[in-house]
Amino acid sequence: MISEYFTLNTSVEIICFIVAFFCLIKDKSPAWKSMILFLLITCVTELIGIYIKKLYLADTVHVRPNVWIYNVLIIFQAGFTSFMFSHLLNKYINSKPIILGGLAVLFILYVVEVYVHGVFEKHNITTTSMSVWFVLLSLFYFYQLHKDAGYIDLKFSPAFWWVSGILFFYFGRTACNLFYYKLSLVVVTPKHYLTYYIYNTLNILLYACWSYAFICRKWLTTTSKNLY
Amino acid sequence: MADYDIKELVLIATLIFLIAPAFIISYIFVYNRRKKKHIEEKAQMQLKFEAEIAKAQLEVQEQTMQTIGADLHDNIGQLLSLTSLTLNSIELHKLAKAQQKIDASINLVLRSIKEMRLLGKLLQGDQLVAMGLPEAIRQEINWMERSGKYEVDYTQADNIPMIKNADKDLIIFRILQEVLNNIIKHAFASHISISLEYVDQKLKLQIADNGVGFAAGNLSAEQSGMGLLNIQKRAGIIGGEANIASNPGAGTNVTVFIPYP
Repeated sequence: MISEYFTLNTSVEIICFIVAFFCLIKDKSPAWKSMILFLLITCVTELIGIYIKKLYLADTVHVRPNVWIYNVLIIFQAGFTSFMFSHLLNKYINSKPIILGGLAVLFILYVVEVYVHGVFEKHNITTTSMSVWFVLLSLFYFYQLHKDAGYIDLKFSPAFWWVSGILFFYFGRTACNLFYYKLSLVVVTPKHYLTYYIYNTLNILLYACWSYAFICRKWLTTTSKNLY
Repeated sequence: MADYDIKELVLIATLIFLIAPAFIISYIFVYNRRKKKHIEEKAQMQLKFEAEIAKAQLEVQEQTMQTIGADLHDNIGQLLSLTSLTLNSIELHKLAKAQQKIDASINLVLRSIKEMRLLGKLLQGDQLVAMGLPEAIRQEINWMERSGKYEVDYTQADNIPMIKNADKDLIIFRILQEVLNNIIKHAFASHISISLEYVDQKLKLQIADNGVGFAAGNLSAEQSGMGLLNIQKRAGIIGGEANIASNPGAGTNVTVFIPYP
């Protein structure tokens, strides 16, 4: 049934993708425009994930769980988010060495994990490291914003809301990753564990912040030439 | 530790992790609002500063015009009137006397021309400030001395910075004019001593007179009026300070410190 594909998660992601598409399609910045592609990849991954899960539940012997597709998504998450951070931090510093350094470490961890347990097991170390890395980048961005003498109206600053979304999501996800084995034991309703609710909340926060950031971006680029 | 306790601990830690970003973002918001306020205050101060500079410029011009007016009336006007009278009194048939009167008239006209030249220099009052504070002060002192009522001592240190700050020069010059005006109007002084030094990255302008002085602490706001309040306010606007020391019968000493350039 098609309704099975429209979970809370996928719905929020699809809405965010649609907002990104309409707000950023004419954007002149490649970093912002790339968000459309990233969200498309995320939505497609989620839908394929649900499809594979259905197949797996139907035949647990011959079909592997959908973990591997989320492992592939990590590559895109690391790439696109780093690209965006690079663009945002370039306003204050030469961000290339930091971003490329971070990406190199994540790449090494990813390769090690593939080598150690293959692609069909969750890449926990890479995911957690990536979350911590993005939290640090978000804090670094806020530090630069704090240090900058110029004033930006944060209520309408796309960059600020984009980074806020990242900070909420990855901060929370770091906690969940660290305490995953304990949290996943807490059953809230007969159908769902606590982690399900936490992940959903984090997803809603992330995509709400991002959608608002894209709207601000559209609003700013059509009302003025101020790109930040 | 019981399993229940661990679960509780994990939940609290997770909650803290979720709340922490909200706090960080709120902090950035609050700080940003303060930044906005600070920028607005700075802009307002800049506007105030510019208005004060414009006012000082206007006052320097007004002061110059007043001096010129007074000089035209009291000095050049008198010289020319005397010239006219002398020329009118010439009797052509008394050649020797006529020659004397013509010579006297020529002398009076030459003095008028000299006075006019000096006036011309004064007319460039605000341009003088642009040429440098020491030069402007020297011209002002020349003018004071010419009245013959005051004996003025002026000392200037050798280490005055070559790099100028036009806005500060204008304000300092205006302060000097204000102090000299006060001396002329109220002090009944005969001796004025002015010094310009450069101490600890600050210009120090000191103006002392031997006039009647006043009880500095006993002046009402109205009495201290434009003069003294203006001196302190203006010094403050360019980051400096003005100290006014006076006692009845003991003259007045005004010292202005201005960070320079």
